[in-house]
Amino acid sequence: MISSAYIAWRYLVFNKARSATLVACVSLIAVLPFTLELLLNESERQLLSRAETTPLLVGAKGSALDLVMNSLYLDDQVPELVSTQVNDEVSESGLASPIPLYVRFQARGFPIVGTTLDYFDFRELKIREGRSLALLGECVLGSAAAESLGLNPGDRLLSSPETVFDLAGIYPLNMKVVGVLERSHSADDVAVFVDVKTAWVIEGLVHGHADLLKVRDSTLIMERTDQNVTATAKLTQYTEIDEQNIGSFHFHGEPEVYPLTAVIALPADAKSGTILRGRYVTDDKTTQIVEPTEVIDGLLQNIFRVKNIIDSVIFVVGLAAVLALVLVFALSLRLRQRELNTVFRLGCSRYTIMRLLGAEIAIILIVSAALVASVAGVVSYYDEQLVRVLFVN
Amino acid sequence: MGTNTLFGIATGGGNRDRRRTIKRHWRRVLVATLLLFVASNAIADNKLVVFAVNYPLAYFAQRIGGDDVQVQFPVPAGVDPAFWMPDVAQVIAYQQADLILLNGARYAKWVDKVSLPQLKLVNTSVFFEEQYIRGDAGATHSHGPAGEHSHGGVTFTTWLDFSLAAQQAQAITEALARVRPEMAADFERRFAILRSELLELDSEMQSIGQRTAGKPLLASHPVYQYLRARYGLNLRSVMWEPDVVPDQASWVALQQLTNEHPARWMLWESEPLSDTQQRLTTLGISSLVFSPCANVPDEGDFLSVMRANLEALSSIFGPGG
Repeated sequence: MISSAYIAWRYLVFNKARSATLVACVSLIAVLPFTLELLLNESERQLLSRAETTPLLVGAKGSALDLVMNSLYLDDQVPELVSTQVNDEVSESGLASPIPLYVRFQARGFPIVGTTLDYFDFRELKIREGRSLALLGECVLGSAAAESLGLNPGDRLLSSPETVFDLAGIYPLNMKVVGVLERSHSADDVAVFVDVKTAWVIEGLVHGHADLLKVRDSTLIMERTDQNVTATAKLTQYTEIDEQNIGSFHFHGEPEVYPLTAVIALPADAKSGTILRGRYVTDDKTTQIVEPTEVIDGLLQNIFRVKNIIDSVIFVVGLAAVLALVLVFALSLRLRQRELNTVFRLGCSRYTIMRLLGAEIAIILIVSAALVASVAGVVSYYDEQLVRVLFVN
Repeated sequence: MGTNTLFGIATGGGNRDRRRTIKRHWRRVLVATLLLFVASNAIADNKLVVFAVNYPLAYFAQRIGGDDVQVQFPVPAGVDPAFWMPDVAQVIAYQQADLILLNGARYAKWVDKVSLPQLKLVNTSVFFEEQYIRGDAGATHSHGPAGEHSHGGVTFTTWLDFSLAAQQAQAITEALARVRPEMAADFERRFAILRSELLELDSEMQSIGQRTAGKPLLASHPVYQYLRARYGLNLRSVMWEPDVVPDQASWVALQQLTNEHPARWMLWESEPLSDTQQRLTTLGISSLVFSPCANVPDEGDFLSVMRANLEALSSIFGPGG
């Protein structure tokens, strides 16, 4: 038996190209359904676990999926904006506690999440290094973001402009990294957390500059009247916030109309949640309230519908590939007819020849299985990131 | 040699500055550590830890919460809490609180510049937001795409209207009861006593307001808008500081103001410099301290300071005043 396996192995090694092609065929047929299953299970886990822990989301009327994907998975598809009044409405209802979200900007490819400290408690995010947010202009990085950017507490991170063509737009904000979070195995790992007010600084709604009423440099002033001082374009706004200039930062207009992408509503109990949902079931509202699990269930149903189609395709392709493999083996036997006759004349029984061929097939299947197991292992190890790249982002 | 001396002085000065900075830094760390220590002790005692942004709120919270709460008010003495800016350690101490009492009406601008847990914030003027008094917005300015805007806005010394102060105390009571519902009855009982004391002040001040009969009054600083509005005082403000002698332009402006508003008394937040007082006296204007009591008073408490304020006012507008 061992000699048969050895001879089969030597034969396969001698015919490297043919053996490799056969192994690749078998592996591909097997690896597709396995990895798809792994990734779908992980995506289901990620999507559902995040959705299940987020009771209600309030946002602008429109795509509920965009709202949920942006708020829960930090997708860069920004939903229609709402004002902070929505946050106040939830708070004043007494039915739920609001957590504002402003997920609109990015820093070197990572989503900037403008929120309040309550978000950290709500998601049970713990600081691994440094400290939590304290002052305007500070940021705390998710573990994967910190690792990928190579940043530690004390470093600086520049926000990215919304479009590269916005040459006359708002200056990027040079944020101070004050902390790095423990790994949470969720979308929060890739986030750059800032106070929601810092997100408004990035947008230019809150800014700091020299006091125009006290400024002496005439080139900074275009016009000065009793009631108004108009600055020239030379007046620069601070792009970094520190102890010296933090006092000069101020809001433009009423903060009640400042933008948010969504508000997480944490109802006191199920009854409060139902009453709160009822308040948004009117046509005149420009906002909607969604239960993320419902939206994600809908999404998963679609995903599994697609998975069923893919499974059918894989089955048909797999069947064709198996038939092709049988054909390859049959043709291979025909090509090896003279060689097999020689083996027979040397004294090998038909049974031994069958054993040799069986050993060849077994080795190909074993090598393919090992390869499939390795690929599945790698996919399983990186499934979180793969799901985020393939399905979420 | 001279250069060496200069270097020596410069180095010495630098070292002194550094030493002073280090000292200040350590003092802040010490204060913050102390606050955290007190807060952690309170947690150990199962007391509610309440931080406030001004002294009146801290006083109300302590009166309502009694021994069940540990009230913290970390603003140093002599500093106006409205314009104070905490350092990181102090912000973190605020973050550890069970409740953070805000005055509302855009009081304590530092709150906009730090990260505080929204769910622990209590806007104590939530019941009367529509009664906010809009102040002089000041000069507007324009730059960038945002256009014209100003940094003036709502006036914030709301507690000088004692009826509003009572409503702020009520908001504190409700917030405490939300966190500790089992103690709600105790909070309510203590609030009822405080409320009656505040309304007593309100009633007394209304009576003084009536006695002023529209006589013109001056204020050294625009902090008495709620007092004026509630009690019908004919009060106009200048922008003077008690510890700074006004410049010539300020005296000229005062002269112009008194021509159309012939006041005989000027209210001050604290005792003005004697030079300022004397010069005011030559203009026929006497000085009177009416402390808003935004920070912890040197003596007494919020109520005793307000009673002293009312007595002082009453003495000039009392029968025959």
